[in-house]
Amino acid sequence: MSTAPEPVAGARTGLAGLLVVPATLFVALGLLGPIAILFRYSLNQFIPGQFMVDGLTIENYVKFFTDAYYLNVLLRTVRVAVVCTIVCLIMGFPLAYVLARTQSRFKNLLIISVILPLFVGNAVRAAGWMTAFGSKGALNASLMGIGLIDQPLEIMFTETAVVIGIIAVNLPFMVLTLQSVIEGIPRNVEEAAFSLGAGPSAMFRRVLWPLALPGVLAGTILTFILAMNAYATPVLLGGPKFQTMGPLVYGQFAQQNNWPFGGAIAFILMTATILLTVAAHLIVQRRYR
Amino acid sequence: MSASSRPSLGRIALNGAAGIALVYILLPLIFVTWLAFFRQEIPSFPPEGYSVKWFAAAANNQPFINGFLLSLQVAVAATLIGLVIGVPASLALVRHRIVLGPMFNTLLLLPLVMPGIVLGTALYVFQIETEIATGLPVMGSLGGLIMAHALVVIPWVVRLVTASLVGFDRTIEEAAQNLGAGPFTTFRRVTLPSIRPGLVAAALFGFVTSFGNLEMSLFLVGPGRTTLPIAILQYLEWKIDPTVAAASLIQIVLIAVAMIVTDRYVKLSRVV
Repeated sequence: MSTAPEPVAGARTGLAGLLVVPATLFVALGLLGPIAILFRYSLNQFIPGQFMVDGLTIENYVKFFTDAYYLNVLLRTVRVAVVCTIVCLIMGFPLAYVLARTQSRFKNLLIISVILPLFVGNAVRAAGWMTAFGSKGALNASLMGIGLIDQPLEIMFTETAVVIGIIAVNLPFMVLTLQSVIEGIPRNVEEAAFSLGAGPSAMFRRVLWPLALPGVLAGTILTFILAMNAYATPVLLGGPKFQTMGPLVYGQFAQQNNWPFGGAIAFILMTATILLTVAAHLIVQRRYR
Repeated sequence: MSASSRPSLGRIALNGAAGIALVYILLPLIFVTWLAFFRQEIPSFPPEGYSVKWFAAAANNQPFINGFLLSLQVAVAATLIGLVIGVPASLALVRHRIVLGPMFNTLLLLPLVMPGIVLGTALYVFQIETEIATGLPVMGSLGGLIMAHALVVIPWVVRLVTASLVGFDRTIEEAAQNLGAGPFTTFRRVTLPSIRPGLVAAALFGFVTSFGNLEMSLFLVGPGRTTLPIAILQYLEWKIDPTVAAASLIQIVLIAVAMIVTDRYVKLSRVV
């Protein structure tokens, strides 16, 4: 039966290609469908007391972009995301490089300790920072203990706390993305640069960085998206007064029951994330090609 | 002497910078671990003493237990669904020239980069519309939650299984078929064993992604039905104390054990 490979293979190709259909249908239905409905909702009207009223209006979007409060939330979210992404890149690169190049037999243990916090969840990690940042927390207690300050620092419920928290959440993503790309760069090219007289900084600038650029881009995009859309970290470390886009969307749905406006904010968040990502992509491509 | 000490100085700086980043990543977990063993309830440093009584408190906290059981149930179901429909899709994508193949691939990876908050709101309104259209109690249901989690498991399965299939030598399969194995036997006896590392990694990452999912699940849990991450978040919005730290530490240890066990079969540094 299967001694004639040609027709068998041919027959399998036609059928086997269909194996992609269930997953594709599932994702299309479960992702694109809901997003289309969400967009449709964002064009509806919200009349207090009457809930959602069918309509075709852009008033939810107008409301967002004409209200200084909401614009400030968007601006704050972008600012936090940009700072976090830049710090992640600067802090992540050395660690990624060391992990990629190490010959240590503890390499797997090191990788696990980078992945583990990722798996533990954002709320748990925020809990760790909450322990540190309180007025009698580890940070203030140790700073006051060594006499650097005599009043506890107000870190909890500030932008600084949120930035510190989000960097810790996103750093593993950056490190793992960079590490896999650096591992694919042959060591020889670095040694070639050195033997041709380049110092470490020239080697980094002229050889390593350009070759690692795809990873830099992928890692930057990933961490930026995550930072823009953070929820648990701003809620727990920023407190109720520190609004960013993620909690704002949730609040509109869960507390205000204003689905059209919540839908509009979700769409603005998604669009802003995509636009800034594409812009960064274009700038990097223009500079380095 | 100075020529040989200069690069090693750079080495030290590099390792130092890497060490700082690693400590920074681990610092929140270290604080949580520390707090879990405090004797007093208030998280003030330095602690008055140490105790393990909070682990009993965490293990008797009903929201945490219920959340843990629900998260476990959802993660197992979502991972199974993700594997059952994700693995065939990966096979088809790698093995066959499908019209618009790259587009399918992008679509299947999309839930991974889709922000959890946006995905959660979108699925929430989708469930509303489905409930209106069919009259079935979809909103806040266990089935709805599992399906949503399967959606975020699929990209991991597709990504990790396609990666392990790309380097696979197809002539081995042809050899099996020449020796008389049917397509199913070939798959079970040849293909499956050789992509096992990818499958194990996909199962682990899918499971953990689902288990830890917070943002999307916020919109999809029903009354009296809360996953563990949400239970922890709600507790933390109220207060931070050693009980929640102990519950977190139990979770950290379970995940660490799962990772170390998985690492014995599949080197995690190769699959991430």
